[in-house]
Amino acid sequence: MNRIPIILDGDPGHDDAMAWTLANASDELEILAVTSCCGNQTIEKTTYNTMRICTLLGLHVPTAKGRPRPLVSAPIIAPTVHGESGLDGPKLPEPDFELVPMTAIELMEKVIRESDEPVTLVPTGPLTNVAGLLLAHPELKSKIRQISLMGGGVQYGNWTPAAEFNILVDPEAAEIVFSSGIPIIMAGLDVTEKAMIFPEDFERIRAVGNPVAKVVAEWLEFFYQFHRSMGYEGAPVHDAVAVAALIHPEIMEMKDLYVEVETEGDFCKGATVADFRGVLGKAPNAKVIMGIDRKAFADLLVEAVKHYGEAEK
Amino acid sequence: MNKIPVIIDCDPGTDDTMALILANKIENFDLLAVTTVAGNVICDYTFQNARNVLSYIGAEHVPVYKGAAKPMMRELKTAPHVHGVDGLAGVELPQSSAPVETEAAWDAIYRIAKEQNGELVLIAVGPMTNVALALTKYNDLPKYIKRIVIMGGAAIGGNVTPAAEFNIYVDPEAAELMFTSGIPIVMCGLDVTMKAYLTDAEIERIGSMGSKEAKLFHDVEQKALGFYRTLGMNYVAAHDPTAVLFASDDSIFTGEEAGVHVETKGKLTLGKTVTDLYSDAQFDDHFVFIVTDVDRDAFVKKVTQLMESYS
Repeated sequence: MNRIPIILDGDPGHDDAMAWTLANASDELEILAVTSCCGNQTIEKTTYNTMRICTLLGLHVPTAKGRPRPLVSAPIIAPTVHGESGLDGPKLPEPDFELVPMTAIELMEKVIRESDEPVTLVPTGPLTNVAGLLLAHPELKSKIRQISLMGGGVQYGNWTPAAEFNILVDPEAAEIVFSSGIPIIMAGLDVTEKAMIFPEDFERIRAVGNPVAKVVAEWLEFFYQFHRSMGYEGAPVHDAVAVAALIHPEIMEMKDLYVEVETEGDFCKGATVADFRGVLGKAPNAKVIMGIDRKAFADLLVEAVKHYGEAEK
Repeated sequence: MNKIPVIIDCDPGTDDTMALILANKIENFDLLAVTTVAGNVICDYTFQNARNVLSYIGAEHVPVYKGAAKPMMRELKTAPHVHGVDGLAGVELPQSSAPVETEAAWDAIYRIAKEQNGELVLIAVGPMTNVALALTKYNDLPKYIKRIVIMGGAAIGGNVTPAAEFNIYVDPEAAELMFTSGIPIVMCGLDVTMKAYLTDAEIERIGSMGSKEAKLFHDVEQKALGFYRTLGMNYVAAHDPTAVLFASDDSIFTGEEAGVHVETKGKLTLGKTVTDLYSDAQFDDHFVFIVTDVDRDAFVKKVTQLMESYS
């Protein structure tokens, strides 16, 4: 079977980490590179987290550090959600490899150029690196098959009532990506708030017993603590939906919509604006995921951690 | 029966006309005044139309006060594709012989609100300009208004742009001023009004009831139906009637309390009613009840019954 070549770009982040755990476990995906971006924490912290995650997962592909700040907006970080390190909770192994001496954009350019097949990008943080790539290398657009991203929400926000965190952090980058003409799969809050992993699922994952399973269970515990304080029944593993959409689209409901990003406004900066009623008469530019079979999604994560070996004795 | 003292602020407008025809027959309403504003069409037309409609349906005793000719700080945008240039989609009515009121809409709203000792319900189904000017001129107005039931906005989506509904889009500053006034507001936005629709057949049935009011109800909607047909729909949303029926009896509706602000600066989202209904991030104040659903069968039944009471 031909694997789908992908590049992972994220700001780990507990849910980025779990998205990558899922991607690396899949026989259907081939990870060509991993790049960090700033978002949940500063670029120094998300890059260090990226390296620790890759070390834990045994994911040894070219890895590069992203742009240290959004294109033009001031940085925002999310320590209330992910802790001071950006990935608080379980102890992780120290990095056992070096970054490639390139920027994230340089690495993406190289990998896409060298790939025989068009590459799928999976950004799960602010879209700074991806927008930078599209600006610097418009000639590579035809070699990007699609962008499966976690970001936005066509009905509501989380960081503000109208905007979701990843888009709010770099709305200009998001607008560049949404208007690029490249097919977009949007895993926004519309679906990710339904992609809930419940405490009983944490136990199923912990029971798998290998070192990765134990860490994932603890990531979920940590992530759930914050969300429980907001009234959630479980941990919404937002970023993993962007990966799951590539391997199991059949467990999701998607809607073709024309989506733009608001870059201004007192209340709406960073909102992903969808034309539900076809007011603009424009062709859809995104497959917006609206729903998911929660149980099947949880099972996917449980199966993924089994990939990382037998229980420790 | 204790009647609800009501003022309807509107911009007739075809669905405004439906709303007035229905309101005139609602038993628990004491319709004290109608105020008019520029919106669907220019204010000279909305004023004349309100007068002529009321006169035609036997409500000539309800005074009509003329309001703002344009939004607070923007140029007026109208909607002739739905309402015609004249606001009644080409339907011609005899001129009302009622005396022409000279009091401004915002002054009338304040005066009547005070007279009603805090019981007044204001139903606002056009741009919120008159409401905002009344609030601007009279600092103590909020304590005299029980609540404002509006047709406007949408928690999700829009109709004039992807993010904004027409009434709010026309005068976003006025709407934001109203939403931050502290007065309890019921927002009948597109979330519910697109579910409170009348089909071609239902409107035909009303049109054949025999009264001249029922025929007017039918005739003013024909242009809108034609417009909706171009969108592939054989029905028309009864936007403004939704707010009127809610004010009379909320039992067939469902909704939720929320905070609302209006975007007045955005490039794509100008005029969007931003709610915190579904978001982790919440606004400080929750003065707004957002109506999200209606029992449509019950809605159609009520409309039909009210129209049957004309004979």
